[in-house]
Amino acid sequence: MVRRFLKVLTGTVAALSFATSAIAGPEVVSGPGVQPECFAPLSAETKFLKFPKKEGPYRIALANGFVGNTWRIQMIKTAKAYSEQPDVAKDIKELKVVSTGTDVAAQIAAIDNFINSGYDAILTIAVNPTAFTPVIKRANKAGVVLVAFDNTFDSDEVIQVNENQFQIGVINGTWIKKNVPNGGKILEVRGLPGNSVDRDRHLGIRSVLEAADGPKYEIIEVVGNWDDGTAQKVTADAIAVHKKFDGVTVQGGSTGTVRALMDAGHPFVPVAGEAENGFRKLCAENADKGLLCSSAGQSPGLVAIAMKTAIEALKGETLPQFVSVPIPLVEHPDFKADVNFFPALTDNFFNSNDFPPCGVNILATDIMGKSEADN
Amino acid sequence: MSDWRYHISHNLGTLTAVGLFAVMFTIYISNHEAGLTPAVATTAANKAVLLALVAMAQTIPVLTRGLDLSVGSVFVLANCLASAIVVGTIGQGLLGCVAVLLLGIVCGFVNGAIVVWGRLQPIITTLATGAIFYGIALWIRPTPGGDVQYDIADFVAGQLFGVVPTALVVLLLVVLLVWIPYRSSPLGRGAYAVGSNEQAAYMSGVPVEKAKIAAYTLAGFLASLGGLILTFNTYSGEASAAIGGTYTLNSIAAVVIGGTSLFGGWGSAIGSIFGAFVLRTIEDLLFVFDLPPLWQPLFQGVVLLVAISLGAIRVFRIRNRLELFT
Repeated sequence: MVRRFLKVLTGTVAALSFATSAIAGPEVVSGPGVQPECFAPLSAETKFLKFPKKEGPYRIALANGFVGNTWRIQMIKTAKAYSEQPDVAKDIKELKVVSTGTDVAAQIAAIDNFINSGYDAILTIAVNPTAFTPVIKRANKAGVVLVAFDNTFDSDEVIQVNENQFQIGVINGTWIKKNVPNGGKILEVRGLPGNSVDRDRHLGIRSVLEAADGPKYEIIEVVGNWDDGTAQKVTADAIAVHKKFDGVTVQGGSTGTVRALMDAGHPFVPVAGEAENGFRKLCAENADKGLLCSSAGQSPGLVAIAMKTAIEALKGETLPQFVSVPIPLVEHPDFKADVNFFPALTDNFFNSNDFPPCGVNILATDIMGKSEADN
Repeated sequence: MSDWRYHISHNLGTLTAVGLFAVMFTIYISNHEAGLTPAVATTAANKAVLLALVAMAQTIPVLTRGLDLSVGSVFVLANCLASAIVVGTIGQGLLGCVAVLLLGIVCGFVNGAIVVWGRLQPIITTLATGAIFYGIALWIRPTPGGDVQYDIADFVAGQLFGVVPTALVVLLLVVLLVWIPYRSSPLGRGAYAVGSNEQAAYMSGVPVEKAKIAAYTLAGFLASLGGLILTFNTYSGEASAAIGGTYTLNSIAAVVIGGTSLFGGWGSAIGSIFGAFVLRTIEDLLFVFDLPPLWQPLFQGVVLLVAISLGAIRVFRIRNRLELFT
């Protein structure tokens, strides 16, 4: 009886699901793609995708998840500022932003809603890398260009845009190696545990500093959660225990880390950190006292590259499935007031908004002039 | 008082939630550029049914004058387990579904057993067991992932005959096959009696212990069904504490909007379903109206407060307000 019931149910399920099994979507083509200096494939294995050409101007949506930290707010403002730049605005009919919080079902529904409403492209920061397979299928079926950036999907069916986090770690490590060439004691302030960005940057740093043929470094690891307050506290604790470091790497909360050095009366040493405005302010002020900084970061300006990617895809151009965005990097002695840091703006502003290979530069004044209003 | 007037006044909480939902959903759909297409309905139904099931789960312990803070964790645990075992052929997948629901029943039974035989406060018990259930979920799925049986998932997350969202049909079946029989069974009536006045119920021969255990067990079942459907919406599982917390708190809000008294003995799971629909429609309104992201929580909070105030509307039809507290 149970078996018969299961059999009938199985048949029904199979028959009813048949209709949804046909999947359209982008065509897999061979590279290279358009503007390879900007849209660089992540690796040699990255495949290239090509969507059918659509006539512009386009309706673009941003399905954001969590909102409520400065990075996300700046990201939304950047999206607006970029969409209003004259040569971008001509391709965009409408930009709509919705933030749904941490509930994955709500973000899926938001993307579905944009698909149902006939948007041409949807940009998203996924709250979870694996949960979007069904919605990716629906987007491809509807011919909607879905672009994930920052927190990307575990999928090779959609275009994704991110910076190579391992490479950021390598940049940090290289700066320390260059400025502390004879080895020494290094403080590594890590990010949010369990996160892939934290893991990849950490591995990147270690790949340089633990190279067998290089100088010997003793690395002390603390967890700063990418947060100024936490980073400041753990740095202060580490200084209290170890007295002196020869160099510091910090994944985020760099302003807090440098302040902890200053508060403890620790001599200034080379620091490889993120791209916060406060960090760069301190670096520029104290460079002559030995605070030699490298500042590379995950930019909220990624949203602009994601939008540019979506527009190129809608124009029918060939693009890598995973775009590795050039990392915005400023190192001593290139810190310049009102160019790559802004004394008048808050410490929490993220500076890295300039992507020369892509022809994308969003001025800080443009970003801060935009409201964070959805529209 | 004639029969229909009695029915209306008895179900005023539910009817208020239904009315509120109807008004809000009409506003939403009339501002939606695609209108009410099967796709739009499915999008709304898929996320609403998840919360509706968790809200139903919450309603039943609340009726007994308890509270289940573990519903969100059971929901997440079921999601993680389903992402691991609802795999393979359709037949194996369906067996996996049954196992997930059994796990939910076990979780609920554990809650009920501790509350009844351990004589601990429901709120403390379920806070602790919720942490345990979440811990098991994290153990099953330390990082997000999994691959569920696509055919079942697409079927449940899709439309029946291309029109009716399957999730809504599942919810309707739960109401018809689980809630209504339970409501009219001795155990269901017992839950109301225990919630109204436990001593009086005991003295009248109501099976107090059985009613309470059944209430928590059923809550576990419904929450795990919600988690199963979440898995069908995402094809995967994630042990997210944020999601567990959100669903627990929203389920309590849905119960209140649905007119169920947090003091027990009064209300209905049907009301909670519409309470959940109201909450989800508040989110959807953000989609059709353009609000700044920083204002969205404020907007949601204000609408929520208004909705809960409407849920408390029975204040107006009581002659002596002291009756509210009996």
